[in-house]
Amino acid sequence: MPLLETQNLSYVYSENTPFRMVAIDDVNISIEKGELVGIIGHTGSGKSTLVQHLNGLLVPSSGKVLLNGEDISSSKAAKRAARFRVGLCFQYPEYQLFESTVYKDIAFGPHNMGLSSPEIDARVRRAAEFVGLRPEHMEKSPFDLSGGEKRRVAIAGVMAMEPEILILDEPTAGLDPRGRDTITQMLLDYRNNTGSTVVIVSHSMDDVAQFADRVIVMNSGKVEFCGSVHEVFRRVEMLERVGLDVPQVTGILMELHKQGLPVRTDIYTVEACAKELARVVSQRGNGE
Amino acid sequence: MTENILEFQNVSFRYEAGSESKQLPLAVHNVSLAIKKGEFVAVLGHNGSGKSTLAKLSNSILLPESGKVLVNGMDTADESLSYDIRRTVGVVFQNPDNQIVASVVEEDVAFGPENLGVPPEEIRKRVDDALKAVGMYEYRKHEPHKLSGGQKQRVAIAGMIAMLPECLVLDEPTAMLDPRGRKEVMDTILKLNREMGMTVVFITHFMEEAVRASRVVVMDNAEVLMDGTPREVFRQADRIKAAGLDVPKAAELARELRKKGIDMPDDILTASEFTQNFLKRFGESKHATT
Amino acid sequence: MIKDITIGQYFPGNSVIHKLDPRGKLVLTFVYILLIFFCKNFAALGVMLLYLIAVILLSRISLKMLAKSLKPIILIVLITSLLQILYNDDGRVLWEAGRFQLTTGGIFMAIFTAIRIAALVAASSMLTYTTSPTLLTDAIERLFSPLKVLHINVHTIAMMMTIALRFIPTLIDEVDKIMSAQKARGAQLDTGGVLQRGKALVPVFIPLFINSFTRAYDLAFAMECRCYRGGEGRTRLKVMKLRLRDYMAFLITALCIAAIAVSNYYLTAVI
Repeated sequence: MPLLETQNLSYVYSENTPFRMVAIDDVNISIEKGELVGIIGHTGSGKSTLVQHLNGLLVPSSGKVLLNGEDISSSKAAKRAARFRVGLCFQYPEYQLFESTVYKDIAFGPHNMGLSSPEIDARVRRAAEFVGLRPEHMEKSPFDLSGGEKRRVAIAGVMAMEPEILILDEPTAGLDPRGRDTITQMLLDYRNNTGSTVVIVSHSMDDVAQFADRVIVMNSGKVEFCGSVHEVFRRVEMLERVGLDVPQVTGILMELHKQGLPVRTDIYTVEACAKELARVVSQRGNGE
Repeated sequence: MTENILEFQNVSFRYEAGSESKQLPLAVHNVSLAIKKGEFVAVLGHNGSGKSTLAKLSNSILLPESGKVLVNGMDTADESLSYDIRRTVGVVFQNPDNQIVASVVEEDVAFGPENLGVPPEEIRKRVDDALKAVGMYEYRKHEPHKLSGGQKQRVAIAGMIAMLPECLVLDEPTAMLDPRGRKEVMDTILKLNREMGMTVVFITHFMEEAVRASRVVVMDNAEVLMDGTPREVFRQADRIKAAGLDVPKAAELARELRKKGIDMPDDILTASEFTQNFLKRFGESKHATT
Repeated sequence: MIKDITIGQYFPGNSVIHKLDPRGKLVLTFVYILLIFFCKNFAALGVMLLYLIAVILLSRISLKMLAKSLKPIILIVLITSLLQILYNDDGRVLWEAGRFQLTTGGIFMAIFTAIRIAALVAASSMLTYTTSPTLLTDAIERLFSPLKVLHINVHTIAMMMTIALRFIPTLIDEVDKIMSAQKARGAQLDTGGVLQRGKALVPVFIPLFINSFTRAYDLAFAMECRCYRGGEGRTRLKVMKLRLRDYMAFLITALCIAAIAVSNYYLTAVI
């Protein structure tokens, strides 16, 4: 049984008004325990609406969300539990910080769960460590931190609930290259150390290709395609149709392949690409 | 008239600290930079490197602590000139939502010319021209909050163009946009530079955008670290990385291959340059073994 | 949802009503509301209703939208009508139950009041539906500019209104987003007593205020960059000039005033 699953999920905004809009339409996805799933699609493809169903924030117009096989809106208790079992971190989460200290802000989620003080304390410290916040940060006002640090505090606020699934909507949006790398590495470490299931919503193909086990491509409210990174990026026409690019190095390899070079095209990082090209060059050298 | 439209002469600046006892470090330290008419200059730097402060110094929103900023030879410290300075150098900021004043696109674009006291018929013409230049003319009656990020940012750019500036300074205009919006904005700015001869200072941390400029300035620790053509700058990958930035993926790939002893030029910037070079060296018709 | 509110909304269009001079529209709406209160019988009210219907048809605003603007006031209309029926005992008695009398006068009054309130709301909705908020504030600025003599800075007030109108949708979106984000961290915003709910809103309002300050700060910079320095020496994209259609509107309204005066004078009053 998948950990999280949607069945014929649809959501319509402003039903019965002239502004009626189908945001997601008959979406069926499943997420297995321990997976790292990337959801890609351009703005307006429905990916943000989709993830807000996964923790019960939005109630589907039709269809169901199953967590461990149980409908998350079956009862009030199940609904509330879903909030904590599926942690959702929104885009630009630093705009939701509000407490007087970093510590208190990270503790907000665990506090709402009704945990004991020692348990809250332990969770806050663990989460802070995952995102690389130092002890001296904890008593500072979150508003005195740099942009990248604020982002990390906000992510820690969701991690501290220790959800079974952590969903992040565009976690690296608006950051500079160093900030992007820090967050990406941090999320990978979190997954490797805790074995948690992680879902990352993104429109950066380079990011998704590097770390996702599986990719869900969204387009105008529907699941366009779902499969391994390789399966997705092999379908160049499909990606073009939905307005997405392949990672840059993959694009280079595809072009070389088209020109008749015997290179693999299922490569998404600079390092792996360099290795592959070196292999091709050395083969050519030997052949002479 | 000088040839330089915008000139920073040994400019230093620091923000005021909340309390009087402590002093914040310099946000900009002894920066000298001259922007020539018609140039397309990309300014790169990580967050906090001082690049955004440069934007606000360029049109007298901020004044230097020491040194001088000259716009067409006008000193930004001279308050009586600030009006002329701001109509010469238009500044566009990161968050498009926070720079749109009116609830209808064309009325927002008209805001600048209205402030300048331009006669109504002339405003109409400028608004229409500006909206056409950024490809938003069809949206002139729309409400800004219903537009996409890229469209909003193009409206903000039109709002500046309608003031007929000679130079546009854009402070990370693409940072909050999705790939489609980034492309829209980047294409618009390139068009303004190539077709209308607009001088552009483009502050960004996307390397792929910087590659398209005619000149790249890298800021680090409040100072200018590098200044040259994209090729000259991105060739020095180690220094770029030390400044917390990336080099374009194609350049990085070429660099990795060189590390493995494979002969690739050190000034590759784009994917197509890479494939061309790679095919020339290692493609089917390989006769160039010398 | 907050986003579904239509009162005060603007529906862009190209109709004659949309094109009327906003100053004229503002004054005429005011006159219309006054006239509604001067109507003393159904004939007069009928004239005003015809006027309104003509305006609605000319504006090409969908009746559905208009009906929506009337929805929130249904309760008020019902209560006032009910009061009229209960307490008015003029005219012929139709039905009697103890001290309660249902009279023709009561029914007429009830209908009369209901139409009055509905016309009043519909008329003001028509103003906002067909006039962009910017034009409306512009009109207010121009109409009230003589107040300068009293050292009231009409331009600043109008500019504040313009900016408020521009940012209301943005802020509504933002409230929505912050609420969702805090709910995702387990905040309970829609349960508990008044005090609890009030307390639960702290995590929503603090970020909202802080973000609004950032926005205000950014906006001030952006306005300075666009050479804003108050109302002095500003010109406007849209010149307001009274045209033939505006004079026609004035003429029609004047005829209505005459018709009401005549009917009030010659016909018996309901009120």
